[in-house]
Amino acid sequence: MSELFVVGISWRTAPVAVREKLAFRDDELSATLQAMTTDLPVAEALLVSTCNRVEVYGVGKPGADPTGPVRAFLAAQRDLAPGEVADVLYDHRGTAAVRHVFSVASALDSLVLGEAQILGQLKAAYGVATTAGTSGPLLGRCLERAFGVAKRVRTETAIARGAANVSTVSVDLAKRVFGNLTGKSVLVIGAGKMSTLAARHLYASGAQHIVVTNRSPEKAEALAAEIDGIARPWADLEAHLALADVVISSTGAREPILTRPLFKRVTKARRWRQLVVIDIAVPRDADPAIGEFDGVYVFDIDDLEKVVAANLAERARAAEHAGRIVEHEAGQFEHWMRTQGVVPTIRALRERFARVAEAELQKTLDQLGRREHTQAQQREAIQRLVQLVVNKLLHQPTIALREATPDEAGLRAEILCQLFDLSPGEAAAAAPAAPVGAERADPASALGQLAEPASSERKAVT
Amino acid sequence: MIDAPQRLLSVAPSPAFWIAVVAYTAAEAALLAVLGGRVRLRPLALVLVGAAFAAHGIDIGWRGFDHVHPAQSVREALGFLSFIITGGYLLASARYRLTLGGAAVMPVALVLLVVARLTPAGSVPEDLTTLGRIHISLATVGVGVFALASALSVIYLAEERALKRKKFDAIAFKDRGAPLEALDRLSHRLIWIGFPIFTAALGLGAAWVSQRGESLDRPQYPLAVVTWISYAALLVLRQVYGWRGRRAARLNLAGFAAALLVLVLYLVRRMTG
Repeated sequence: MSELFVVGISWRTAPVAVREKLAFRDDELSATLQAMTTDLPVAEALLVSTCNRVEVYGVGKPGADPTGPVRAFLAAQRDLAPGEVADVLYDHRGTAAVRHVFSVASALDSLVLGEAQILGQLKAAYGVATTAGTSGPLLGRCLERAFGVAKRVRTETAIARGAANVSTVSVDLAKRVFGNLTGKSVLVIGAGKMSTLAARHLYASGAQHIVVTNRSPEKAEALAAEIDGIARPWADLEAHLALADVVISSTGAREPILTRPLFKRVTKARRWRQLVVIDIAVPRDADPAIGEFDGVYVFDIDDLEKVVAANLAERARAAEHAGRIVEHEAGQFEHWMRTQGVVPTIRALRERFARVAEAELQKTLDQLGRREHTQAQQREAIQRLVQLVVNKLLHQPTIALREATPDEAGLRAEILCQLFDLSPGEAAAAAPAAPVGAERADPASALGQLAEPASSERKAVT
Repeated sequence: MIDAPQRLLSVAPSPAFWIAVVAYTAAEAALLAVLGGRVRLRPLALVLVGAAFAAHGIDIGWRGFDHVHPAQSVREALGFLSFIITGGYLLASARYRLTLGGAAVMPVALVLLVVARLTPAGSVPEDLTTLGRIHISLATVGVGVFALASALSVIYLAEERALKRKKFDAIAFKDRGAPLEALDRLSHRLIWIGFPIFTAALGLGAAWVSQRGESLDRPQYPLAVVTWISYAALLVLRQVYGWRGRRAARLNLAGFAAALLVLVLYLVRRMTG
């Protein structure tokens, strides 16, 4: 049976200088996938290309190992010799491939543990493969399950808890105080890159009324235009401090701008409303003493870094639990894959048994329909029917057992004993009139006894 | 083992009481486990709180069949108070994540329930009129609402302290409970609800005392007035001067401490006859 495989490159195995050589643009994905399934021994394929990984998830054609050709294909697509990327490309097959896909979807293989983007990227890649017609039943099932596992991991563990970078930590801290940021006012002091990023995150989280003030009005205007805010003169700083809910400060000043005397005036005007001050500047813009005022919370760059470190440490702890979930789910998927291999056999077996039973039943019904029968005759006909069906069903296995070589016969008999829960020894003991010296301990004989009725019975049913 | 205390009780504790005790204890254990990082236990913890609340309610009903009114004495009222606190916590939990608050509230509810059921009952006062029953009922509901507001203030102060001192590894920070502004607002709303109820209870209490011809020189009476003044001051200060946050939370706790002292004095008086 075909099995799942993964071939790829990621931040774990290669620096960005190498990863970027193998990266695919969105508009290249569909054609690349179709080329893979046409030219290579690949039945199903999906290609995910992000800044941290380029990976092919697929299912090989029966009897073929597609990993080598896919490696060569990836290199050839970017005009690289296979040897150039041989060391940085990895591949997985079977359960290992499933485990890898589940780990990637759950962001356990991400550069920032628990980050949310990879799940969306995988879903997008799956969408492309589906549209291109290169995603089949096995790969589709694997991806659908991977999305379920990712959801389970995020729900049951702390893998995605806490912000993982300084900008989002600013938003997180503001949310600790205000909860929903919708309608909150933000004052951006200075026009540094970090404050721009933090202000953008706050804006994306629902904060409104973003006011930018800077000693240089031109820079304030430029930043305000960029983040949909309003530029205000530096002289109005105190007035805007009285109105703001969140302050992001990132100026190049050598001395603190947000001083204790200033805040003594401001907090009264604010009537002790909560104020979160994010001071990203170095040297700091905010005098730490302003944090002593009721309702004022001051966080400097070190604080933000500490929160990031604490959150990442918590995520790392959660990763152990998440890994166990992935392992368990991969095991279950493997079990499902194994059962899929025998489904056609089970179906054929059932159909054959049903055909035999139906044919014999029809014969018996025809016989019974020809004339009136007594109850005893009907009973006898049903007994014959059952015996006939049993004989016909067991005929082929019995022949196969008898005609097998001695080595094969033992193995086949053992399998039959397992499949039908037979105990030949017990059968021998229970048999009422076993012929002396008969091979009753032999499972094959046990089956033979069941399959071949006494000659009188045979006569009766034919 | 139960025989000895039972001799002292007016009505033996019902099976529901013991179920409530077990459920409260299990809920507390589950909430502490959630705070310890086993976040998957959060739904179970809430189910256990719900079970404790249900068993507690059945116990109150059970006592009703034995003609024990939940407001016939301060001792009974404590059991009812505990019931209100748990119910309020469940309601608030539907809106906010209050694991830390639950871990703080469950032991209080359990202790109040145990005190209400397993301490000597004394006798039901013969002069317990309808006015007295209404007074006790209203006072219980009022203090129950204040207790919930105080629990929120405790969480507020814990979270605020963690933020102010930048204790990013403190449980109050890691639990990611309700935001400070929501805690402050909810606590204030509860005080707005509890204050008129408590005011009515105080007025009716004074009328009941006067009806019985008792003097007002017992310490619980001025303490009840202190409670009322604290909450009245809190509402005025917030409305007029914008008091909120830490200072409001502290004043809220001071008022509740006075209310608790009143309850303790009543309880001691009933127990000592």
